[in-house]
This record gives sequence, structure tokens and C-alpha cells, in this order.
Amino acid sequence: MIGHIVIRNAVHRPVRTFITVLAVAIEVMLVIIVVGLTSGLILDTAKRTEGVGADIMVQPPSASVFMAFSGAPMPISIGGKLGQLEYVQAVAPVLVQFNSVNGLDLVYGIQPDSFREVSGGFVLDSGKDLQDPNDILVDDVYARAKKVKVGQTLHVLEHDFHVCGIVEHGKGARLFVLMSTLQEMSGARDKASIFFLKCDRSDHTAAAMDEVRSLLPRYEIRPLKDYISQITSSSVPGLDIFINVMIAIAVGIGFLVTFLSMYTTIIERTREIGVLKSLGASKGYIVEIILSESTLLCLGGVVLGVVLSFLIRIALLRLFPALSILITVKWVCLAGMIAILGGLLGAGYPAWLASRKDPVEALAYE
Amino acid sequence: MGDRRLEPILKTENLWKVYRSGKVELPALRGINMQVLPGEFVSIMGPSGCGKSTLLHVIGGLAQATSGNVLLDGNDLTQMSDAARTLLRRHKVGFVFQRFNLLPTLDAYHNIALAQHIHGNGFDPHRFEAVAEMLGLKDRLNHRPAELSGGEQQRVAIARAIISEPKIVLADEPTGNLDTKSSDAVLALLKRLNKDLGQTIVMITHNPDAATYGNRVLHMRDGMVVNGVSH
Repeated sequence: MIGHIVIRNAVHRPVRTFITVLAVAIEVMLVIIVVGLTSGLILDTAKRTEGVGADIMVQPPSASVFMAFSGAPMPISIGGKLGQLEYVQAVAPVLVQFNSVNGLDLVYGIQPDSFREVSGGFVLDSGKDLQDPNDILVDDVYARAKKVKVGQTLHVLEHDFHVCGIVEHGKGARLFVLMSTLQEMSGARDKASIFFLKCDRSDHTAAAMDEVRSLLPRYEIRPLKDYISQITSSSVPGLDIFINVMIAIAVGIGFLVTFLSMYTTIIERTREIGVLKSLGASKGYIVEIILSESTLLCLGGVVLGVVLSFLIRIALLRLFPALSILITVKWVCLAGMIAILGGLLGAGYPAWLASRKDPVEALAYE
Repeated sequence: MGDRRLEPILKTENLWKVYRSGKVELPALRGINMQVLPGEFVSIMGPSGCGKSTLLHVIGGLAQATSGNVLLDGNDLTQMSDAARTLLRRHKVGFVFQRFNLLPTLDAYHNIALAQHIHGNGFDPHRFEAVAEMLGLKDRLNHRPAELSGGEQQRVAIARAIISEPKIVLADEPTGNLDTKSSDAVLALLKRLNKDLGQTIVMITHNPDAATYGNRVLHMRDGMVVNGVSH
């Protein structure tokens, strides 16, 4: 019976129902897309880093596992020492710069030969490898997203580069230039951000890491085999806070909209509440009706929000092919629970108010 | 007509209801003493503002008395909490209002079934069918209040009031919003419920003709019962 009452109430005011459902849907979509974007970005970066093909990554002391925030404080001469270790087969120094012109991208400054030794080399879709100081390689995802062709000029890091080749994606960054060029541009001569190490055998990775730790005791030494699992939202400074703030805003939206919707509902249905009380409905019965109605609207909002999230994802990926948006079952469920919780909290006060209405006054309400 | 040797189903003793607004006190009921025996149909008449509706609300447990006693089927409402009065009302009282007070989003069927649901003993299809048949509603059950005439809405309200077999039905100006023909039909229905099923009814009205449908009339003025007449 309560289900029937709730559904009939929702149908009786279609505009109010739609607005409430839409607001909850926006709340759900906000959570899913924001988390999806951040998770997608992190996972995509981690996958591409793992895709370099190295066994070990050496970074300066206290460096972030998320490389965009590490700078370039290591002398390149360290590479030579690393190359002399027993289990280390090849060393590729890389200088990392963060480009924020015409997008947000990591740029790898590499030594083509050493990078090839560690990664196995690029798979060229078109063009040729880096040769000239102003050459730049872009990966196919970047090329598709920015409509870049071989031979074009690309303005990156406040510098005009010549696109010499397009490579298959998955080897660290999407943009590659010569290390010497990047060192000159960034004033980090003879410096590197990371050393990628290839071991003689993969089962020597642990031993090689021990060797490196003995050589460089305070440095960050990470195996790349399970790199993805090491990168989380807390690897990026402030990202956790950003996500939590966005979730809080989303919950706030859901809470306020549901509060307003239920509050106006109980004002509008004051006399009905009086009737229910005259029939002997308890306070709990009336609270159950209000909260059930709120839950129904929130459930509708959750379903619509999930659908909208997938549609938005499709649209964003069409517009920005280089973007990565990860929608997981875990976060769909969490977003749904957050929405319903926000809705219940929002409906709580109106439900309490409704239950406490004086039946005589309620019956006389116009 | 009720058997006077029976215990009254409703009894008030020196019942007062005083409304307070700041320092102003407004007594709506002044020391009312009355009783209703099982199976009686009592009409309460009086001019507007004499306290009829207030009396109905207090004896039905919708409002708390200021002082005095209200005994409903042996239970003193004045000693009860709001929750206890709600529970008593659920099981022992049926209300019929002047403005019908049906839920506009539900059809007649669900408006009546709602009372059974609140009552808590589950849906009784036999009782439901019998009541719908008795009140001539079988063909109108799928219609919402906006699709029913005034007389039909009041019949739905009466069905809702009696579906759970209350000890007493309290009717507040049940014909106040109806035309003459519908009024007569509703009053005849109430009379039939009283005569054939022994339903105890207390009806307040300002219409002297309507009052004659009861077998006893109490007159109220300024919050007091001034005299009573048996038919």
C-alpha cells in the first residue's frame, strides 16, 4: 500500500518528480564522471609507464610515484653507475616535463638509443625516429585527438617542434623529444627525472633493486611490474581532497534538492497527513511514506545518473580521444549509495515535521 | 435504539477544552457530560462556533482535553499519550468529514483499503466486498475522487470509516458539502448502518432535518450541552 501511495504521489506531480530525479541524476553523474576522469587519468598514466617495458624505475628521494610532480634533480652521471650493476642490462635516463599549452601532457626527453634498449623501441605508424633537436614524436592517440600529421609544426612547452613521426601509444608519455633539447629548454642540463632500468632477467629484478638501493640508499626505487597497483588517487597531491570536495558538493546538491522537494510536498499534503492521522496512522507510518518517496525519487535519479554518465563518457571520448574515463562498478554503487543517503538525510527533517503535525490543524489546512 | 442497561461506549465527565493564545484563554468545551450507548445514533446540533467539532476531535482522540475524562470503550483518552490515542483511534474510531478528505492520488479502492492497511490486520477481501456492495460502490472503485460526485466521495469516506469495524463512527457535518438529494442518500445510509449493523454513530450537524436521522439529539451552545432529545 505504501508503495502504491508513493508511486501515485510521484506520478501526481510529474514536474516536481522529474526535477528531483534530474537533480539526483546530476549528483550521481558528477561523482561518477569526476572519479572516472581522475581514475582514468591515473590508470592511463600508470599503464603507459608500465608499458615502457622497464623492470625498475629510479627516482630522486621523496619523489612522487606520479611522475608529473617529480622535477629533474638527478645528475645524469648516475646512469653510468647504474649501468655497471651486475643485474642491470640497460639504463634509459628520461627527463619529464609537464606541458600545459594546448592541453595537459607529459613530455619525455629521451636518448633514443638507451630508450630503445630498455623499451624495445617504438612501433612507428608513420614518419621516422627522433633525429634533429627540434623533432618530436607523438603517439597515435595524441595524433588522432589533436589531428596531428607528420611534418606538421607542434607548439609544445612554448617551443615549435617538427612532428617527425607518429608511434603506437603505450610507452610512457604521448610526446617524445630529444633529451638534450629538453634539458636546454628547461635549464636542467645534465639532469634526469627518472632512470628506467632493464634487468638481464626478470627474476633478477629484486636483486637488482637491492643493488640499486645499496648504490643510492635514499632514492625511490620502484619495480614496474605492479606499477598500476602503486598508483592511487593519493599519489597525486590534492587529488583525494579534490575528489572528496566534489563528492561533498554532489551530496549537498542531492540533500538540498530532496529537502526542498519533500518539504514542499509535506506543506502541499498537510491535509492528507491529517487524514492519515485521523485513520490512526502512527508517526512511523508517515515517516515511512515520506522516506519511501524520497528513496524512490533517488533511485530514479541514480538510474538516470548512471545512464547519463555513460552517455557523457561516450560524448567526451568522441570529443577528446586522448582522455581516459574509467567507470567502475564500485563507484557506480558508491555514487548510488551516496545519492540515496543524501536523499534520506534531506527527507529526514520534512518527514519528522510531517509526523509531528497536529491532526486537527492539518485537517483544517487549506 | 441503544439498550440503556449497557455500558456506554462513550462517556465524558466534566470535559473541558481550553485554547490558549499567549495570555488569552478561549474555552471551547465547558464541562461537558454526555454518554453514548452502543448502537445509538446521536446527533449533536448547535450554532457555528459552539464547540461541536472540538467535541468530536476530543472524543475521537484527535485532540487532547484540557481537563475532565473521556472514556472510549472503557479507555480514558485523557490519560493517554499521543501514540496511545493514535493506536486507539486506529482500532476503535472511524471518521467521516464534511470535506470527505479522501487522498486525491488514490482511487476509491485504495482509499478504502488504506484504512485496512493502517489498521494492521491485512487486507480482508470479503469485508471489503461487503462494504463496497452495501455502499453501492462496486462500479466506482477504480475512480479517483476527482472523478466521483460529492455523494459518491462521501460514500467512499463512509466505507473507509467502517471497513475496520470501529466501535464508533464520528461524522463531522457529513452532508455539509452535498446537495439535498445526496445529503438524504448519505443520511439514509448512516441510518441503515446504525439500524442494520448496530453501528454506533455520533454525528454533528447544524441542519435540524439531518439531526432527526439520529435517535437522540444533543444541543450545544457556547461549549456546553444545553439539552437532549430522544426520537
